[in-house]
Amino acid sequence: MVVDRGPTTSPAAATLQCGECGAALVLGEYRTAVCPYCASPTVVERPSAPGRPNPVFVLPFTVTQERARELVRAWSRRRRWFHRSLEGARVDDMRGVYVPACLYSAITSATYRAEIGENYTVTESYTTTVNGKTVTRTRTRTVTEWRDLEGPHAAYATDLVVTASRGLPNAELERIEPFDLRALRRYSPALVSGWLVEEPSLGVAECTELARGEAVGLEEARLARFMPGDSHRDLRFDVQLRDETIDPILVPVWVLAVRPRADQPAMRVVCNGQSGEAWGPERISPAKIVLWIAAALLLVAIGVLIAMAGAR
Amino acid sequence: MTECPRCHTPLEASDLRCSICALAVAREADGGAGPSGLRARILRCRECAAAVSYSAAAQAPQCGFCGAVMEVEQPDDPIEAAQWLVPFSVDHEGAARALRAWLGSRGWFRPRDLSAAAAIHTMRPLHWSAWVFDADASVTWAADSDMGSGRSAWAPHAGSAGFEWRGILIPASRGLREPETARLAPGYAMDRAVPIAQAGQPLEGGAIEAFDVQRSAARRRIADAIESMAVADLQARGHIPGRRFRNVHASVLLSRLVTRRFVLPAWVAAYRYRGAVYRTIVHGQEPSIVLGEAPISWSKVALLVGLALAVLLVILLLVGTR
Repeated sequence: MVVDRGPTTSPAAATLQCGECGAALVLGEYRTAVCPYCASPTVVERPSAPGRPNPVFVLPFTVTQERARELVRAWSRRRRWFHRSLEGARVDDMRGVYVPACLYSAITSATYRAEIGENYTVTESYTTTVNGKTVTRTRTRTVTEWRDLEGPHAAYATDLVVTASRGLPNAELERIEPFDLRALRRYSPALVSGWLVEEPSLGVAECTELARGEAVGLEEARLARFMPGDSHRDLRFDVQLRDETIDPILVPVWVLAVRPRADQPAMRVVCNGQSGEAWGPERISPAKIVLWIAAALLLVAIGVLIAMAGAR
Repeated sequence: MTECPRCHTPLEASDLRCSICALAVAREADGGAGPSGLRARILRCRECAAAVSYSAAAQAPQCGFCGAVMEVEQPDDPIEAAQWLVPFSVDHEGAARALRAWLGSRGWFRPRDLSAAAAIHTMRPLHWSAWVFDADASVTWAADSDMGSGRSAWAPHAGSAGFEWRGILIPASRGLREPETARLAPGYAMDRAVPIAQAGQPLEGGAIEAFDVQRSAARRRIADAIESMAVADLQARGHIPGRRFRNVHASVLLSRLVTRRFVLPAWVAAYRYRGAVYRTIVHGQEPSIVLGEAPISWSKVALLVGLALAVLLVILLLVGTR
């Protein structure tokens, strides 16, 4: 196999010759290619570079293309009451992409300070009027006593997946998480052959920052569950992340470009290639909202009319 | 056996990540790319030499022409298998004697002829399965206790503690119930355990209980058990001030978790008394540990209730006559 790197060192410039029929294939931002003439799938292996490490693990696709289409349709149907329908929308393109991501883990050591609410009940007497007479009664009331608490919290933060692709922002990936990491396989070209494998477009430093944000969010949620008492307020914490590790992985995502109408721009719906969770941008239909409000007003009006008729 | 560089937990063969802290296990050798930098690779079918793609339906690389499926490295999640066997030191006769002695010492409420009239129905040797672990843990905790309480009965407390657990037994048995395994566990001489491969033939009619759980599920059960144990130990060992506790939350940072899989000996017996069958368990090494069911003598219970009522009546009569 001959590899021609072209005049620049950018991965976008790399071309290679199909080992089957000799056609020249442009790699673009992917590390796999399928020859348009003989349909031979090619996987490129390259040495790991500091800014562009090779994937360590892959989560293979388990959702087939047909199933992904069904899941996206089901997702669309669930939103039909307030959103623009995708029924009859033209699916411009549907591609299974191994999206580059990073798997992060660390030890979180936090110190926190919060006010803990401890409830107690008090019995109080009150006067009320019963049958025209003033009587004294007792009732119990729950009162919260607030106490300061500060302390440590340490735990492993594991299984945090963040995107390494500028094409699929982290917020979008989070919508279709979680991935079942028990199905993780060590990266092998055999697991991605014939599929699009996107090269990472975010550096390790950027991914680490994203993952640190998620680790802090995880710690905050854990601390909220960790607090004793009947309630808590004003929780503040300071967290240190140590022994961090970040491993490049590939996660399976079905990407659908859908055009609701011919005159409208295409929208992207993504579907988890392992769990089938689908998500796309919410496009609220003003016409449907107006229709629902009109229907609600009509029901109220009918109710009022019936009540008035009954009162006569 | 190598260990995780972060939490020093020994790694099992074929682990991709540490089971405790999720650190990725380094690949042994990277076949990677050649000296030219980039290397393009076409995977070929072993049957017909056509190019092969990964199939989501087959969940394996599959040839589009002849349908042959290529095997790839699968995540290894085997069913847990015993590594160590603790041998019996109480034989069939000894177990039967222990059971008779136990039946004879069941107290006044049991039938007087229980030991003599009970017929041992079955007495089978069983090796039941359990995990035994050693671990170090740094535990941070938060809880409510009665110490320092104000108007409310509870006050919040927080702190940290270090634990070194050694030889802690977690039952994996499905045949024995949790309270039974808890009673049996302290009586075993674990230092007499032998590797399962060298254990020889089981006793006649005996069975070695399978773990019947995959490694990943076993690890979850062990982690859950450790967390429950941390919560119990924090209260029992006086780490949390006070005498009454609630909302005890513990965050366990485990390290050096070493898990061994044992099978432990017990005699599972059933005896018949007046037509009914009762189940008992005799410890396989310590014959003084016997647990199980025994019938109650309802005539003795009725006699005692009658006596108590008679005494009550006499007292009432005496009080009434004054």
